[in-house]
Amino acid sequence: MNKQKILIVDDDIAHLDSTRGILEAEGYEVFTHNQPFGSTNAIVSIKPDLVLLDVNMPGLSGEKLADVYRANARTRTSRVMLYSSNDEDALRDAARRLQLDGYICKGSPSTLRLKVAAVLTR
Amino acid sequence: MSHFPAIAELVTNTRAVLPDTPVKVVADEFFHDAHLDAVAIVENGHPTALMTRTKFLFTVFRQFGWEIYQRKSITSLADHDPLILPESERLDVALSLALQRKADDLYDEIVVVRGDGTFAGLIAVRQMVVQQTHALANVIVQKELAHERARELEEIGRIKSQFLANVTHELRSPVNAIIELGELMRISAEQGFVEQVRDRLTLLLSSATNLRSVITNMLDLSKIEAGRMRVFVEPFDLVPLLREVADTTRVLLGGKPVEVIVSTEAGAIPMTSDPVKVRQVILNLAANAAKFTDAGRIVLQQTSGTSTISIDVHDTGIGIRAEDVQKLFIAFSQIEDAQTKHHEGSGLGLAITRELTQMLGGRVSVESEPGRGSTFTVHFPKEISS
Repeated sequence: MNKQKILIVDDDIAHLDSTRGILEAEGYEVFTHNQPFGSTNAIVSIKPDLVLLDVNMPGLSGEKLADVYRANARTRTSRVMLYSSNDEDALRDAARRLQLDGYICKGSPSTLRLKVAAVLTR
Repeated sequence: MSHFPAIAELVTNTRAVLPDTPVKVVADEFFHDAHLDAVAIVENGHPTALMTRTKFLFTVFRQFGWEIYQRKSITSLADHDPLILPESERLDVALSLALQRKADDLYDEIVVVRGDGTFAGLIAVRQMVVQQTHALANVIVQKELAHERARELEEIGRIKSQFLANVTHELRSPVNAIIELGELMRISAEQGFVEQVRDRLTLLLSSATNLRSVITNMLDLSKIEAGRMRVFVEPFDLVPLLREVADTTRVLLGGKPVEVIVSTEAGAIPMTSDPVKVRQVILNLAANAAKFTDAGRIVLQQTSGTSTISIDVHDTGIGIRAEDVQKLFIAFSQIEDAQTKHHEGSGLGLAITRELTQMLGGRVSVESEPGRGSTFTVHFPKEISS
């Protein structure tokens, strides 16, 4: 069976590395992209089963980026979850408003595993 | 509250005569005081009539007026139905009543009485017009000020919530990274990958060090704002302090290919100041350099003047645009939208750096070239008294 693919878009190297490691240990194939720009192309070429999208990034926020994904025919159907250190209420609101596949608060590896698994088995 | 004063405040003329005062005496009053516009006729403390200068002159100098009236009492000439208003009447109301009078009486004085009806004084209508104009202008100015204040409060509120959003993220982000890196190290350790543990420890320490500096700066800012920041002066050697700052800077770099170099004059460099604050100032500058430098080097260079010690913190980072240099040391100036800001940080570090430097009698300056790097220089007095 092919590994499920996850793309993480985050400008923070510490988060990018640690999340990659945690998810690889779960058996996923993990790709990273360390800035908002060019991430649409990354989605198109990698065709990930899930995109974990950081919110606070230089130049273009994750929320705006999610809008861009939704407006682009080639990325519209990608599964996207917000993944951030921001306030949980704000993340939940944004995920609903942008009609994403949910959100994950950074800092809880067990929640990360559970939520990713839940979305990928849907 | 009304913006219009009570008319009591406008009374300046309190000239009054008894009803049986001869016209000749009143004529003398008008003659001797060119500014006297009117006199009130007052009996037992209560006003009964009003004699204005205009009407007085008009009557006594017409035909045989003077011959007819000079020996009579002033009551025979006076206006027996003047406008009488209580002194508590508001200016705008009083003026409106005055202007409703017969055209001939419009510019007469208004008689002002106290609460018990006794005579308080006279007010010229033209004086009321002038005051009314001032009051109206004041109302406009007050309204404008109120609007401006409201806008300022709105702006302060916006900055506060922006700041809170930034700070929340600044505090959570490194904590979350520490937890995730710890988890990852646990996985690596279980699998026996020692090399991976070592790599991640570097990142973990960098996150923890960064978190500590965010917390220190926030607590210091609140101390400074509350006026509780104290200076503890003692003699110390700057050299080991600079080495310590360099070590912390290396940790903050988290594995980026940046060399940290300390360059000092030979031997010990004695200072008498507050070593904790001196270290914090230099560390804030070096941490900033570490944040904005991806490759190259950071140099901490010390030089001495006759009574000062200067430390250059030079980096080969992204540099600062000329238009941004002015804003660098102002608290909250880095407050851009938390979601799209270009660099981590609460924007407080440099503001605190400047405050602390000034507390130690020093100053901080900066030179920068975008794309080439920046040099922050802090100048401290070698000795300050406690």
